Amino acid sequence: MREDPRLRMPLMFITALLVQTTVLSRVRVFDVMPDFMLLVAVAGGITAGPTRGAALGFVSGMLIDLFLPTPLGLSALVFTLVGYWVGIANAGVLRSAWYIPVLTAGTASVAGVVCYALVGSVLGERMINGHLVTIAAVVGVSNAVLAPLAVKLVAWSFGSLKAGTPLSA
Amino acid sequence: MAVYRRSRRHRFFLVLLALTSVTVLTLDYRGADDGALRAVRQTARDAFAPIQAAADRVVSPVAGVFSTIRDFGDLKSENERLRRQLDEARADAIRGADADRERQGLLQLQGIDYTGGLDSVPARVISTAPTNFQLTITIDRGSDAKVEVGMPVVTAAGLVGRVTEVSKLRSTVLLITDPQSNVGVRLANSGEQGVARGGGSRNPLPLELITTEVPVEVGEPVVTSGLERGLFPPQIPVGQVRSASAAPGALQKDILLDPSVDLLRIEFVRVLFWKPAS
Repeated sequence: MREDPRLRMPLMFITALLVQTTVLSRVRVFDVMPDFMLLVAVAGGITAGPTRGAALGFVSGMLIDLFLPTPLGLSALVFTLVGYWVGIANAGVLRSAWYIPVLTAGTASVAGVVCYALVGSVLGERMINGHLVTIAAVVGVSNAVLAPLAVKLVAWSFGSLKAGTPLSA
Repeated sequence: MAVYRRSRRHRFFLVLLALTSVTVLTLDYRGADDGALRAVRQTARDAFAPIQAAADRVVSPVAGVFSTIRDFGDLKSENERLRRQLDEARADAIRGADADRERQGLLQLQGIDYTGGLDSVPARVISTAPTNFQLTITIDRGSDAKVEVGMPVVTAAGLVGRVTEVSKLRSTVLLITDPQSNVGVRLANSGEQGVARGGGSRNPLPLELITTEVPVEVGEPVVTSGLERGLFPPQIPVGQVRSASAAPGALQKDILLDPSVDLLRIEFVRVLFWKPAS
């Protein structure tokens, strides 16, 4: 039986959500866990350019927002911007070296965490304190480590689109 | 030209998504949507609950190995410390039981209601919130078990937090260590009132007293004050004074509390059927 390629995208999101809520929330370093849903947005930008990066960021942000106590849409907004900017930044990069996605994921994750805290603070959540430095550092490093895996997962989920449109659209 | 048009389309799409996020954010933040978004959120959580529970069953033994390796060095010294504490606690329990009997009698005489008599429902801690910014836990009881927003959550050792979100099968509990948390408390020895704020995970809780000229002893127990319109019923243990110091010339003492519950390792809690007076 052949799998339906249209199922790949939803499957990818469910997998990412499960990884984030069950696996990673238990594996904490300095009380901080990796942010896999943010990483999906980053990987979207890396593999498929700004538009799809933004779209993936929007969906993954909305999904994780459903399970967070913060206002709905906060992660969606930040992840959309992150996915878009990673796509723009990666457009000029020749993708030959393995460390490019790793470095991109690390940097973009730090930026995403800081951006999230800033927008959250505007909404009255107490997010900017000494712990933010630790959060940004741990998320940056751990997301960089997980980046190759996330890029593979996201590229697989785009497999359905391979036939018609080029990935860099 | 083609590049120009393409980047314009990119930007249009980005603005569209960003505006959608901001719209949802605004609606949810202001609560102006008659609970439609809340319903979506609750449905999603309930629908995901069984999948999460199944994945959890697979993951938890593996995660257990990970944390055992990570914490191994601490376990030995912790064991010794716990054994010592157990001895002390046994002695305290005997003294406490006696005092409690006496107190119950006095309370009954005065007709004051006693927190110990509150109805409650036990719950299992499913997970911590999948975020680095909020100190919350998810428990496996929701509105089906009559849990409501605002109810206090405790263990046998003391206060854990209060319920902030409820769906049919799950509830979210804001821990007392979260920076957004405020607990009205009373020093057990002097009876002074104050507010214990969250200081972040693993950090002690800073305590602000209403009056400053109060002797505070290290190790002094602190319980919820249960003042009128408070968020918690009275007499729930919150923690112990870890340190109390005043900088020269300072108007206020810096008092830190150690929570009486080990909030990093709770497995079972009780939700008290008590609602704050609004």
